[in-house]
Amino acid sequence: MLSRVADNLYWLGRYLARAENTARLVGVHSHLLLDLPRGVSLGWSPLIAMLGADGGYLSRYQDYSEANVVHFLITDRDNPSSIASSIAYAREILRTIRDGMPRDAWEQLNALHLFMQEEGEAHLPRAQRQAGLTKVVDGILLLHGLLGANMSHDVGYHFLQLGLHLEQADMTTRILDVRTVDLIQWKTGDELRPFQHIQWMSVLRSLMAYQSYRRYEKSRVSGPAALRFLLQNREFPRSAMYCLNKISACIAKLPANRATERPLQRIRALIQDANFERLLENGLHEWLDEIQIGIGQIHDALAKRYFQFDGVESSEALQSQTVAA
Amino acid sequence: MAIDWLQYRCKGFYDELFAAPGEPRAAAKHLVDYLGSLNKTELADRRLAAELAIKVMGITFTVYSEGRNVDRSWPFDIIPRTLPKTEWMRTEAGLQQRVRALNHFIQDIYGAQKIVKDKVFPGELLQESANFRPQCVGMKPKHGVWAHICGSDLVRDGDGTLYVLEDNLRVPSGVSYMVENRQVTKRVFPELFQTGTILPVDDYPAQLYDTLAAMSPRRDDAPCIVLLTPGIYNSAYFEHSWLAQQMGIELVEGPDLFVGDDDCVYMRTVYGKRRVDVIYRRIDDLFIDPEAFRPDSVLGVPGLMRAWLRGKVGLVNAPGAGVADDKVVYAFVPKMIRYYLSEEPILPNVPSYLCMMEDDRRYVLDHLEDLVVKPANESGGYGMLIGPRSTKKEREKFHQLISANPRNYMAQPTLSLSTAPTLTLSDGSIEPRHLDLRPFILSRGESTYVTTGGLTRVAMVKGSLVVNSSQGGGAKDTWIVDLEAA
Repeated sequence: MLSRVADNLYWLGRYLARAENTARLVGVHSHLLLDLPRGVSLGWSPLIAMLGADGGYLSRYQDYSEANVVHFLITDRDNPSSIASSIAYAREILRTIRDGMPRDAWEQLNALHLFMQEEGEAHLPRAQRQAGLTKVVDGILLLHGLLGANMSHDVGYHFLQLGLHLEQADMTTRILDVRTVDLIQWKTGDELRPFQHIQWMSVLRSLMAYQSYRRYEKSRVSGPAALRFLLQNREFPRSAMYCLNKISACIAKLPANRATERPLQRIRALIQDANFERLLENGLHEWLDEIQIGIGQIHDALAKRYFQFDGVESSEALQSQTVAA
Repeated sequence: MAIDWLQYRCKGFYDELFAAPGEPRAAAKHLVDYLGSLNKTELADRRLAAELAIKVMGITFTVYSEGRNVDRSWPFDIIPRTLPKTEWMRTEAGLQQRVRALNHFIQDIYGAQKIVKDKVFPGELLQESANFRPQCVGMKPKHGVWAHICGSDLVRDGDGTLYVLEDNLRVPSGVSYMVENRQVTKRVFPELFQTGTILPVDDYPAQLYDTLAAMSPRRDDAPCIVLLTPGIYNSAYFEHSWLAQQMGIELVEGPDLFVGDDDCVYMRTVYGKRRVDVIYRRIDDLFIDPEAFRPDSVLGVPGLMRAWLRGKVGLVNAPGAGVADDKVVYAFVPKMIRYYLSEEPILPNVPSYLCMMEDDRRYVLDHLEDLVVKPANESGGYGMLIGPRSTKKEREKFHQLISANPRNYMAQPTLSLSTAPTLTLSDGSIEPRHLDLRPFILSRGESTYVTTGGLTRVAMVKGSLVVNSSQGGGAKDTWIVDLEAA
């Protein structure tokens, strides 16, 4: 496995997860706004903040109107994190490494890219939006199905899974971070309590977690329980802990890499030991920042060890060279 | 309404499918009868199906235009071009002969230069050849093969003779489209393949793999073979990734490789470095090694020539092989065949006038409007003058160009290229369009393999003779038809 190809597969995983999460998020947010009472303005700006794209947004758009935000998030090719951009990058990557990938996966991603190019804009208005976003999510899930079923589960596949789960852990914590900032501001005023409940539900829904949450928690949606579920659950595929365990399992199948172990252990411990009642009172934002930093460190360690290989290898790499394929 | 072949006007040229209006050639009869049973709407539907298949299969080529690279769908005409197996066998033998002579020539040129000493080939041509590489002098690659992969362009003139128009010995492309064209045709006309008379074409990747493996410097059952590409923005990138996929080898870019202190070539993998035995390079000579050639190249691998000259890695095609891929050197190929092989050429060259020779030059300058003038070292159909279609101004320009640099130009009579029925882009009617054929020849020393047919390129514009895909050309599936199997 060439270092460059491993790097590409890793980013393919990340872009696909990013596009899928963004599509869900926009879809759920569009729904949520319909349920909020008059006078409560949640607006569209949180979505921009969530994707860490404030700077790029404000340099080109005057306000946070619905039309502007959905354009920016879904079809804007000048926004490197938009769904269209993520899919275009993923396609470009798959094109670069298509020699080693199942052909039907390429055909599927190519079709999704053509859809975004040709019909993306037409799906921005509210009435068409959900259909367009569903097509994106379904298209990406189909692609994962094709890759999982038709691609050898070799080293390359592990890099793809690494990118996928690292991006998911990142997206999950980002979504929680931005959504909870709003919630905390809401704590005063009993009359808004039912809507707070709705908003926690939408947090779960943004991550397709509401149904699973009900099965596990068997209780009314509450802040601490939702956080517990989305961060600590070991079986729900979009929970942070599930993703970190997957990352750990993938790394175990790669040629030795000790540099990723420390940040991985550290954030797993952070999540394991968290007291969400207390964090919701105070310090949740800072705590989530810590997790995000840890995710960044895992990325850096992966890049340094596998993707930026400079020809001078460590002894641990030499030992595993005999199994090179 | 069904297609009325009597309306197909094929007069004035040799048509590949029709001997006379309404009278198909033997190899094309089954195809013509079948197409005749379809009406215009059905034919249009099949074309749509082909376009969709090409789009979905992602068969593309990249064109550079308006300052950026654009990925375009492969232009394809659904009506195949047919050739009888008997004619093909002879052509195949002619191509094998030709490539054997070319490899002898290249080895001789970088060695003793006997052909120059024996005054069969003028030595001064080498001094001015843009593709002669002094760095290669004295080298003897494994099995004496320099041009492992050759793409020769064949054209048919009005009298039915197949001529070799040129030999591409540097990085010929198009073979992936040959195989993909067949895939598309099978999707679109599955009924036609039931007769079992159309010979298959998909053996090429396996043959290419064997050719590459034979060039490994190590005795190893599983040599490490890679395909070196300039990257995703190259016009032939689709083909690079396609070939790597079909052969199951790594597709690498320059920065993926490095040359170690031991002069061996290694690739950077997640496991550490791994030795590379053979490189099928799809990068031009001048860019493969910034230490030996252009220092500004970022596509190549520093030290690659050193590794090759010391016999640590096989390079396919060998650097310097392009010396024989020069439109002036081309004129000497029939002489090379007689000189090295003591055989008569099976396939004729197109008569050529070399502007470096005074008599020829005078003739060319006096007859510019009847001739096709080509620069010696261009490919892709660029920089040509097609006399009968040229303006006075263009002819004056070429008059000056030739006078200033006669070595760089040669001229050939304008051939009346053969035609085949083609669906027009405008209204989907069937009209004759000019075409050529590019077969690929693989040399491994002990044997030579020729593709079954090759890539048929067709000028989609009425009357045009330019078949290059970068300039509005398209392609057809090419059928070698075994009439005895019917």
